[in-house]
Amino acid sequence: MFYSEQKKQFQILNRRTFFLFIGKLSIFSVIGWKLFDIQIKNSKKYQTLSINNQINIEILYPVRGEILDRNNNILASNIKVFDLYIIPENTNNILKTLDNLDKVIKLDFKQKREIIALSKKVKKFERIKIVENLDWTTLELIEVNKQHLTGLNLIQDFQRTYPQKHFFSHILGYVNQPSITDLKLPFILKMPTLDIGKTGLEKSFNEQLIGKAGKREIEVNASGRIIREISKEPSIRGKNIIVSIDQQLQRYTYQQLEKFQAGSIVVLDINAGHILSMVSIPTYDSNLIIKKPNFDYWDSLLNNSLSPLTNRTIQGLYAPGSTFKMIVAIAALKYNIIKPAFSIFCEGKIDFGDRTYHCWKKNGHGKMNVETAIKESCDVYFYELSKKVGIDRIAEVAKDFGLGQKYQINLENQKAGIIPTKKWKKETFNENWYAGETLNAGIGQGYILTNPLQLAVMTARIASGGKIIKPSIIHNTVAKEFSLMKKYISSIKLIQKALFKVVNEIKGTANKSKSHEFSFSGKTGTSQVKRISLIERESEDFRKKEIKWKDRDHALFVGYMPSKNPKYAISVVIEHGGSGASVAAPIAKNVFNFLHEHEI
Amino acid sequence: MNFKKITQINLFFIFIIILLGFIGVVALYSAGKGNFSPWATKHAIRFFIFFFLMILIALINIKYIYKYTYIFFVFCLLLLLSVEIIGILGKGAERWILFFGVSIQPSEIIKVAIVITLAKFYHNLRIDKIGYIRNLFFPSVVILIPFILVLLQPDLGTALSIMILGILIMFISGVRIWKFIFGILISIGLIPFLWSYIKPYQQKRILSFLNPELDPLGQGYQLIQSKIALGSGGFLGKGFLGGTQSYLEYLPEKQTDFIFTLIGEEFGFIGTIFILILFGLLILICFYISIKSIHIFGRILSLGIACNLFLYVIFNMSMVIGLLPVIGIPLPLLSYGGTAMLSIMISFGLLLNVDINYNQKKIDF
Repeated sequence: MFYSEQKKQFQILNRRTFFLFIGKLSIFSVIGWKLFDIQIKNSKKYQTLSINNQINIEILYPVRGEILDRNNNILASNIKVFDLYIIPENTNNILKTLDNLDKVIKLDFKQKREIIALSKKVKKFERIKIVENLDWTTLELIEVNKQHLTGLNLIQDFQRTYPQKHFFSHILGYVNQPSITDLKLPFILKMPTLDIGKTGLEKSFNEQLIGKAGKREIEVNASGRIIREISKEPSIRGKNIIVSIDQQLQRYTYQQLEKFQAGSIVVLDINAGHILSMVSIPTYDSNLIIKKPNFDYWDSLLNNSLSPLTNRTIQGLYAPGSTFKMIVAIAALKYNIIKPAFSIFCEGKIDFGDRTYHCWKKNGHGKMNVETAIKESCDVYFYELSKKVGIDRIAEVAKDFGLGQKYQINLENQKAGIIPTKKWKKETFNENWYAGETLNAGIGQGYILTNPLQLAVMTARIASGGKIIKPSIIHNTVAKEFSLMKKYISSIKLIQKALFKVVNEIKGTANKSKSHEFSFSGKTGTSQVKRISLIERESEDFRKKEIKWKDRDHALFVGYMPSKNPKYAISVVIEHGGSGASVAAPIAKNVFNFLHEHEI
Repeated sequence: MNFKKITQINLFFIFIIILLGFIGVVALYSAGKGNFSPWATKHAIRFFIFFFLMILIALINIKYIYKYTYIFFVFCLLLLLSVEIIGILGKGAERWILFFGVSIQPSEIIKVAIVITLAKFYHNLRIDKIGYIRNLFFPSVVILIPFILVLLQPDLGTALSIMILGILIMFISGVRIWKFIFGILISIGLIPFLWSYIKPYQQKRILSFLNPELDPLGQGYQLIQSKIALGSGGFLGKGFLGGTQSYLEYLPEKQTDFIFTLIGEEFGFIGTIFILILFGLLILICFYISIKSIHIFGRILSLGIACNLFLYVIFNMSMVIGLLPVIGIPLPLLSYGGTAMLSIMISFGLLLNVDINYNQKKIDF
């Protein structure tokens, strides 16, 4: 009985042991399978995660390339600046260090509290920024008091600087933090805090100037502390850009403009097409835009009605006024509409259609031929001429001489201006061209709009005898050959003669600016801003009267020097400056004098 | 003491234990970034001491063990209770007690006491009486008192393993299946109550276990890092001392609960499966000794010890591979920590004792 019971008990035990064995075996199998799943099947995934865990990639930012003028004077460069950090771990006592620092640089209470609060939040070995861009005196003070300032850390950084201040701002532009759209640019990939060019050459040459980022692979542990450096690929400094501008000339032309409210000067090297100077006023200082905080400075720029951010040489559009008369004359000669000797008697006005068209000289110039009409800038002569030539032919010649187009000079937002044609008017206004509008166009008024760079190019093309000069702002020593427009050779010769007389003969509109040191040629222009009413015209001295600044005429002068084998072309525009002869021409003379003396 | 019987000690079992102990030292050397301090040396010393303790227990006359079983249990229970009282008097949860200058975790020791106590109880209980409901009372008390005390500490993982261990022994002993089903149903009914009882950090642990990727820097962090370490180890591992996850401190608790992960990272799938097989062999030997034994005390005791070891192993491994929440169960002989090793070595001593005395007809005086 007892034996059989025990036997039964052992039977149950055996059965239960077997179940237990099966149970344990299956659970072990599940664990084995799961290990297989993690360590073999998904090993790749976890390996990647493991590497991501350990290795951080630090981007090493490149130093931005410099911008130099044609004589290697620095226009845009980088200065070392120091940012001050504190590393809580390295301080004996963070409060004490901050108190000591307070004696060197003023830290306000709020700032101190923020740093301390932050030090409690971040990891002990992490850097906390205290001040950006320390100046040299503070830097020295910190160096001297080093032993009282444990845990402080100076980190070197580079900041863009423009040593020429406001003289080059329109050309160079400025740098700033990239916007979200900028960040899509391939060359700044992965450098979200890199300053990049926002306007001007800084923007156009971003790709070359930025250089190439380097990187540092560092092994970090779970708390982010750097354990060791695995590899380092240094960054590559950006390329330097050399511009064709002459720094001295630029400063001089700027000084010439300084006394006016708004205006511009463009100086071209006729042989190479190089832009030697390009000044627009009012201007701004790129350094002040970079320097943070810059809200006040931005406000002052944006609230200025003369819009200092506008580069008038390429963005300012003006009616060319009498400087356009050469184009009309060349068109008439080229199409054989007139012989060089063709003359007209100016009575001070002509009637056309239901309107009277006045000459600027109320009593008329008398008998005028092409040369004298340009020399004395006779409006009536060109009314007659434009009537004969027609607007479409004038437009064709204007375009040949570089008006109405944009140039590849690596500066953005150029304005092409308007060279009207019959087709243009139909397309733009859906109106037919009136013959009277051709008369206005003949003296550079009406629809025609040009920018100062175009006027300089036009002048250079005339001066060169008809070469298709294309301006450039990048200095390349390889001489450029511009092709010659043969169809204009003979007509240009006549015009050149006339332009010489403008300056160098009595009665020439710019004769007062004649120089005895050198010879130059040119053409004055006075671009009408407001239509002159009949009453104003009746009054004898309407041109001399004080008119509101905004309603005054623009003063223009285009010219080249020397008159024989010309080297330089210029365009001067003084907004609301009055007459070209009395305001713009003397400036051109001064600039030419500077060029004559300095031989760029 | 039967020193003569030392020749009868199961050498294969001893060999595996020494091998595991050695692997433990090696792994802790790696966990110490290639240093014997702070863990490897201590681990080796402990292993050495406890190993001799194990041999001593193996050589004790089994009659004494059988005789003093209940006293041993009560002693362990008092230890556990004292921890509880100290915990209440002191501040916060306390699991440790200083015992002869060594800090002891009674909740680990009590597991062995439960196994041996139940083995004695069922040895005495004739099979025809197992069915009586009143005979469920004693085992329930033996299991539930330690369970509740440990749960109050609070140590959910150990409490659960005590409960499961007890249930398994009852199962082995022949308690009817329907009673377990009934018990399980009651337990399921108690889950909402239990949930509201456990501490918020434990609730968090269970929730983060259910979806660790949701909160990779919080509670699920350990588990994800553990999986990364294991997975990146691949088939052959990153090599000894080559575990970047543990070296760079991504792996938490690498010397205790996550020592298996460290082995998996450095020695790969080969390493982890090898460990799994070694533990499997130990359990298999337990089964072998159990079947060999001619007395019920030895049979149940061996299987109980197998279950105890098994629960340690699967809880720890399931935890590091993400089959269970992180409940803080060490891996025997490998994890750094004295009490778990002491507990497991005592149980192995008992097992070897059963092995030596497998054919002893009469085990009571």
